[in-house]
Amino acid sequence: MTDVSEPAAAPAPAVLARGHLHPAILLLRFVEALQQAVLPLAAGVVLMNPWLLGFGGLMFLLRLGYALARYLTLQFTLTADELRVREGLLERQERRIPLDRIQDLGFESSLLRRALGLVTVSIETASGLGVEARLDALSRADADHLREVLLAARAAATLQPSVPPPTAPADGDAGAAAPAAPTVLPVPPAAEPEWLVHRASTGELLLRGVTDMRLSAFFVTGFAAWELADQLDVLHRFAGTAKSLRDWLLQFSPLALALFLVGLLFVVMLFGVVTSTLGNLVTFHGFELRLRGDVLQRRYGLLTTRQKTLPRARIQRVTVEQTWLRRLLGLGAVKADSAGGSRTDGADVTGGWDVVVPLTAMPRAQALLPALLPGLERETFAWSKGSPRLVVRTGAQGLLLAALLLPPAWLRYGPFALLALLLVPAFAVLGVLVWRNLAYALGQDMLTLQHGIIGRTLAFVPTTKVQAVVVRQGPVAQLLGLADLTVYVAGGSPTRLPDLTIADARGLAHAIAARAGIAAAASW
Amino acid sequence: MDGRASPRPEERLQRRVVPYWMLGDTLSAVVLTGLAWFVGRPQLAAHWDTWSPALEQVLLGICLGVLLLGMVTPPLAFARWRYGFLGDLLLLRYGILFVEERAVPVRRMQHVDLVRGPIERLFGLATLVVFTAGNEGSAFRVPGLAIARAQELRDRIVEARGDGRL
Repeated sequence: MTDVSEPAAAPAPAVLARGHLHPAILLLRFVEALQQAVLPLAAGVVLMNPWLLGFGGLMFLLRLGYALARYLTLQFTLTADELRVREGLLERQERRIPLDRIQDLGFESSLLRRALGLVTVSIETASGLGVEARLDALSRADADHLREVLLAARAAATLQPSVPPPTAPADGDAGAAAPAAPTVLPVPPAAEPEWLVHRASTGELLLRGVTDMRLSAFFVTGFAAWELADQLDVLHRFAGTAKSLRDWLLQFSPLALALFLVGLLFVVMLFGVVTSTLGNLVTFHGFELRLRGDVLQRRYGLLTTRQKTLPRARIQRVTVEQTWLRRLLGLGAVKADSAGGSRTDGADVTGGWDVVVPLTAMPRAQALLPALLPGLERETFAWSKGSPRLVVRTGAQGLLLAALLLPPAWLRYGPFALLALLLVPAFAVLGVLVWRNLAYALGQDMLTLQHGIIGRTLAFVPTTKVQAVVVRQGPVAQLLGLADLTVYVAGGSPTRLPDLTIADARGLAHAIAARAGIAAAASW
Repeated sequence: MDGRASPRPEERLQRRVVPYWMLGDTLSAVVLTGLAWFVGRPQLAAHWDTWSPALEQVLLGICLGVLLLGMVTPPLAFARWRYGFLGDLLLLRYGILFVEERAVPVRRMQHVDLVRGPIERLFGLATLVVFTAGNEGSAFRVPGLAIARAQELRDRIVEARGDGRL
């Protein structure tokens, strides 16, 4: 690996690595095909139906054949400036991914794969499609080699003046890594110092599980309660059919029944909490966030182990999310959006790919943010609040909604329809909550936003990453002189600053857009 | 950039975009209301027990409203539409009920399409479709441009884009 010349100079780029899938993938595919075929085969045996048997067998063979063809034809080649993946038997396909376009690398290994020493490598670019190429099952050694070479080659291809990690504690012989030698292709593993940014403790993971207020838990609870109530009601009506059960229930006092109901609710809730806690412990077991050079690395997982590398320069936005329970406890989860990834605020991506810190105390979360967003430590933010007129806006919306609901409701329920007017104070209270949590600040290179209703989210967007800025006014907002400001970056959902005064919104929009333009001119 | 001044874009679209939009909107409104009136109404009358002349009046009202909307919105949209360059920023302002002001750094644009539909071509108009990176809200259109002007805008964007390293 030492005879590699500079990528620009070499006419035919030297091949750094070349490889195939690991043969054990065939065993894995065999098992999978067997799993799929087992149902039709079993049905065929039971029903004595030769067609079903034939179908099951054919499916099994087809899947196996496909896996074999894929195994035999897939080949990846890594040169100093691109990754080529070639596959296909009948329909040949060669995909070339320039190294400086690769956003992040994911390494995933389920229990079975781990036993066989296999790793699935997924490569993401900014195409917005998520995973661009998936190398299903490389040997661990191959995968490690691929990562080292990719990272080193990437660093050389982009030729960024790498910023030293902030306040990196002298990590062993960190002095040996000469930081000022960017023209030499860094030799794989030895060079750059690694810095442990965060290691999740079991306590934190437990807390994450316990405070994981999944909507589903409430759904399950609510549904169970409704079912039971309905059943009791039904029992009441059709006394004859289920008399015994009803009598059995009626022998208890109403108090005991109520206690029983509450107890049942509690059990269901507890079940939800326990499963989410276990799920979190398993998913994020041993979570570690490391910074190596300018690349963030996460590794975690008990059964399925995952590793993800994310170049710091690719981060489009960082959010610190607190649901209301976590906010009460002073805890927060940190997530990072990279280009091409898409998720909505608050939603969890399966596998936790976007999580940078599963859960930690807020001061710690704040303290490690500069490791994700270099330069943040130099920023001073002058926070501004949104316009208090936002309360008037939400109140007006409540009034509008009430006015729409009132006439039909009156026709049906008579004076009870006036209850719809309660929407007005309810919306106003909502407005007050939103306004109290809303704050924003534009620093030198960073836009930050704090928003929420009972929970709270803190978002940081580097202005250099801004793609577009939109000021938007709805009909009510036009009357009140309010406007929303939405900031678009290349990944994640857009960041929305609601209910600024129109003058503030315009000023901020132009300031942000101008900075983004200057940054784009300086470096692309 | 002095943010507080907040300059507005000045340029308007071609005036003939109004009849073009009217034509398009009215055509689709005619198809829609025609379906509702001549296909939907007999079906409703036949299968819906509580169908009454009063409801028929309501349907008629809705149909006429949709047709009217096709005539009314284009001039309003035209009156609101502004675009223009401010240094390296492309500024847009549009919308009737919901007013949007969009500012996009030209160098952030990934690629530009010049779209000309068959009817659009009859009116001598073109639409510029501009893409930035990302998946949500990453494409936007500037409709109703004279063809020469659209080409000029596209070239300007491509040129500015060419400054930066690809």
